[in-house]
Amino acid sequence: MILRADGLRKLYGEFCALDGVSLTVDQGEFVSIIGPNGAGKSTLINILTGMTPPSSGSVRFKDREVAGIGSVRLARLGMARSFQLVQIFPDLTVLETLQAAVVSRLGRGTRLFTSLARDREVQAGALEVAELFGLAERRHVPARQLPQGDKKLLDVASAFALRPEIILLDEPTSGVSTADKTAIMETLVAASRRIGLRAIIQVEHDMDIVFAYSDRIIALHQGKVLADAAPAAILSNQRVIDTVIGRRAATG
Amino acid sequence: MAAGLQVVFGVQKIFNLACGSFYALGAYAGVSAVGWYASAGGPPALFVVPLALAGLAVGAVGVVVERGLLRFVYDRDETFQLLLTFAVVLMMEDAIRMIWGTSPRSTSGLYLTYGQLQLLGATVPVYNLIVIAASLVIALAIGWLLTRTAFGRIMRAAADNREMAEALGVDMRRVYAKVFTLGTALGTLGGALVIPATAAMSEMGIELIVEAFAVVVIGGLGSMRGAFVGALAVGVLRSIAISVYPELEMLLIYLIVIVVLVLRPRGLFGGAAA
Amino acid sequence: MKRGLGLAAATAAMAVAPLVGGTYHVLLMLPFMAYAVVLLGLNLLFGYTGLVSFGHALFVGIGAYTGAFITSRTTIRSLEVILLSAAVLGALVAAPVAALCVRYVKIYFGMLTLAFGMVFYTFVLKFYRLTGGDEGTPFLRPSLLGHAFDAMPKIDYLTGPYYYYSMAVLGLATLVMWRIVCSPFGLCLKTIRDNPAKAETLGIGVTRYRFLAFVISAVYAAVGGALLGPPTGNVDPTLAYWTHSGSLVFMTLLGGFASFFGPVVGAFVFIYLQNWVMSVVPYWRLVFGAILALIVIIAPEGLAGLVTRRRPAPAERA
Repeated sequence: MILRADGLRKLYGEFCALDGVSLTVDQGEFVSIIGPNGAGKSTLINILTGMTPPSSGSVRFKDREVAGIGSVRLARLGMARSFQLVQIFPDLTVLETLQAAVVSRLGRGTRLFTSLARDREVQAGALEVAELFGLAERRHVPARQLPQGDKKLLDVASAFALRPEIILLDEPTSGVSTADKTAIMETLVAASRRIGLRAIIQVEHDMDIVFAYSDRIIALHQGKVLADAAPAAILSNQRVIDTVIGRRAATG
Repeated sequence: MAAGLQVVFGVQKIFNLACGSFYALGAYAGVSAVGWYASAGGPPALFVVPLALAGLAVGAVGVVVERGLLRFVYDRDETFQLLLTFAVVLMMEDAIRMIWGTSPRSTSGLYLTYGQLQLLGATVPVYNLIVIAASLVIALAIGWLLTRTAFGRIMRAAADNREMAEALGVDMRRVYAKVFTLGTALGTLGGALVIPATAAMSEMGIELIVEAFAVVVIGGLGSMRGAFVGALAVGVLRSIAISVYPELEMLLIYLIVIVVLVLRPRGLFGGAAA
Repeated sequence: MKRGLGLAAATAAMAVAPLVGGTYHVLLMLPFMAYAVVLLGLNLLFGYTGLVSFGHALFVGIGAYTGAFITSRTTIRSLEVILLSAAVLGALVAAPVAALCVRYVKIYFGMLTLAFGMVFYTFVLKFYRLTGGDEGTPFLRPSLLGHAFDAMPKIDYLTGPYYYYSMAVLGLATLVMWRIVCSPFGLCLKTIRDNPAKAETLGIGVTRYRFLAFVISAVYAAVGGALLGPPTGNVDPTLAYWTHSGSLVFMTLLGGFASFFGPVVGAFVFIYLQNWVMSVVPYWRLVFGAILALIVIIAPEGLAGLVTRRRPAPAERA
């Protein structure tokens, strides 16, 4: 078991965004979190990645309590994430973005006087990830000039450049055309094998993607876990179909 | 004395470095107006009238600054707004020098026109009491404007949540223009009113901005109640510091500003901390 | 390559300036070089980290007063010792200030730095026994590399040895800063400028880097401040005043914070323009205020870009 959450609650004033969520993620798993808008998916991701402290409950990553310790320390421990709304460094090129991640992984960020251009390990590490994600050709393009799909890819790629053990993706294919969605997912799965990722957790609305890639699906509804099972079992769960999947299919 | 007037700085979302310059401008205009008034042979007892009128009149410069400069940067980062008001500070300083020269100006002798009063064992010029009364009246008027009129409600709504106010169909640009002009006019009026008590110097704006800065920071940006409390706190602290250890006077104010900024970045009354 | 050529030309021009230029212009180069050092540091914070300090005059003041204090109160005259002391003192003062300030961004950062700057200003103004109050403190002629140059007339000293000494300091400062911005550290600063929330998820601790950048920029400001002293021979509190901090930001904007040498160019243009305007009309502030307003308003992409293009931190979504 890599990641384990117990009894997570999150209150925003009166509003209860998460109401006692527990989950586990094991070695080699691809877990998808689904649920209608407002079910608490993003809150859950933000708590799991240490960005938001829970009101109560615990998060254990590699047998260490990590609730609320902040994304910096979690990143060092080996957990990376991407965002639903694509997060890039607008003025940095693709390569610079990936270099920053590699620098951070190698703990070389406080080297004030060494030349980045001559740091072979950083250069090679960044280039490798760029190639892995098909961004090598555009490596000198500033991130803000990339097409939307590539921005998304770069966001994910920079998380991979950290060589994390586990990665949490908040809607990795949102805002991307259907054709690009599959391409992104294929790239992602290939890359995760390549860097020896131990687990992937994703929040995803697209049920085709969810069922095509997941080993396990966790359905959230109104801050609670509605179901936590393999895809086949989820499909036969009438409540999940009514509250999550059905509505989604009905609205297209 | 001018404490009451600083209240409005709290309402302006733009942190206005130039408020001190407006204050100095009002002071100089006041001196000129009174000088002109005296040479025209007006009765000395009524010198407050041209003084106040001059203060209000040069408040029109607020319109110019707002229309000519500030309205272009409402959508930008506050840092740029700050820089723009800094540009205004530079321009105003020289504009004042250009018109009135560099030497201090004062309204010779008018200060004691209204005589003095024995109050609690101290001698207080009546004029001071007039200014305090005027400050109170202005403060009350602003309070009334903010809480009882439609414009006041819009202003507070704008300070609270610009997007929401806009969504409700409020033309923020017009609100900002009015608020800024009001703020400028109050600043210039304040400058004009204190002038009989001191002399108009180009540095005077600078002293005020320190105080206004402290008041606004301690009270919290955009909070009326905070501005009142801030003004009060700064006034009290200054007088305590002056009597105990004069060297520490300004230092103390800044230290408090820093403490407040660190503990409550939005001020004591500025809602939740950032 | 183009930058290399420009740099070589500029260096050559600066090197021959005292030989061919008039004394007046050569003397103007001295504050320029001092400000160039200050601005190189300020821009590490402004252009590379995205923090606009309105209180850097504090550190300029510290550097200048350190030099004035050492030369007028002790028998030490060595400029090397002065610069080193200024750097150390700048760092020592900057550390606690930075620790508090870097937790905030945008206007709160600006206001906090402004407040700290004014604390120092009132300190030098009020504690006149130590600082000479508004009269200032004399900055006696420092010795350069062990040579006292006592017999030399002041103008010759300033346009000769002191000029080349300043140039060497500026050259060294530029070199070191160039290494810093090209280092892994420099890259991390840029990620923080562009998107602090994303930088955090990459394991880049935002406050730690901002702290370091702040301290480095303060050291630069202090060294530059110390260089400002000898040409005037006196150090007064206006150096630490907030409008001086504002002018520093102005110079940076004038030249453009988006490029490495932008602020240096800004310092050059500012100083020469200021002197030229002053020779035509006495109201340079009016002109400069108008220029600043124009820069801020018309704001080409590169100027506004840094701040407005920054993405907001991802809001917590339920």
